[in-house]
Amino acid sequence: MKTAYLLPTGNEIQNGIVLDLDTPELMIQLIRRFPQVQVTRLCPLLDDEEIILRQLEKLTPMQPDLIVLIGGSGGGHRFSKTLSRDFTHSALERFLDEHASREIYGKNGHLWCKLLCGKKGVTLVINVPGPFVEAKAAFSAFLESWSKGDSLEMINSAMAQAVFAQYPAGAAQTV
Amino acid sequence: MEHQYIIAHADKTVLKISGLQVKGLNTRELEQILSDKIHSLVRVIGVTGDSVEMDIYEAEPEQIRKDAQGVIRAVALAEGITATELTQMVCSEKILEVDYNLIPDQPVSGCAKEKWMKRP
Repeated sequence: MKTAYLLPTGNEIQNGIVLDLDTPELMIQLIRRFPQVQVTRLCPLLDDEEIILRQLEKLTPMQPDLIVLIGGSGGGHRFSKTLSRDFTHSALERFLDEHASREIYGKNGHLWCKLLCGKKGVTLVINVPGPFVEAKAAFSAFLESWSKGDSLEMINSAMAQAVFAQYPAGAAQTV
Repeated sequence: MEHQYIIAHADKTVLKISGLQVKGLNTRELEQILSDKIHSLVRVIGVTGDSVEMDIYEAEPEQIRKDAQGVIRAVALAEGITATELTQMVCSEKILEVDYNLIPDQPVSGCAKEKWMKRP
């Protein structure tokens, strides 16, 4: 791992209403495992699919090893007007050449989290959820799985299980 | 490529506190303070300049409602939050379980309207 870009998303992150705690945590994990990595935190992106997509397209020619989108992985705004709009997963689906994905639903049928792991050219691209404990767990699982040389599916599965483990939910049911 | 669905069988309720002044909120600290107060797992899911919305797992909504002022006082201790005379709390009932067959059988990235707007 030589170069990585971290892209926090969320209007509340960009305007400073909420502190960005996730990016520093991900940087720590990345640097701990790859001391020589050149990691860049970009300006937080607004919750807008086109904006996210344009930023991803700008980074592609630089061929970084890793791009991480942070936040915007749920579907809450579809059920509550006051929640942020979540578009990282839909932007990634449009952007990636190939990807694996998993969706975690609550028992109420609401999408709680959608994680993707995919490739665009030589670049590996993932997303992690916004809540701190979920971002931390997902990225830790990613690093562990990626370091073993796992496939996109295996990395995605490891990340989803790590996020799921943050809910007091008992056994997961895969359908 | 593989796509899977996972169902989380967690009980949760949504707690919304409005009428706040929010700037530079430390969500991790807020989750810890409130978790200690109500002895349940707390996850901040939405923040605006004047409100905070949180998922509260495995908790009884009625108990939270009974101590609304205590909850508001605890929340106001978090970095980045100031309570005002307009501050109030709303706590939903626990989420209801739905038939898994209602979960869409195609990967979802948008509601029906969004899919219609993006149609080829």
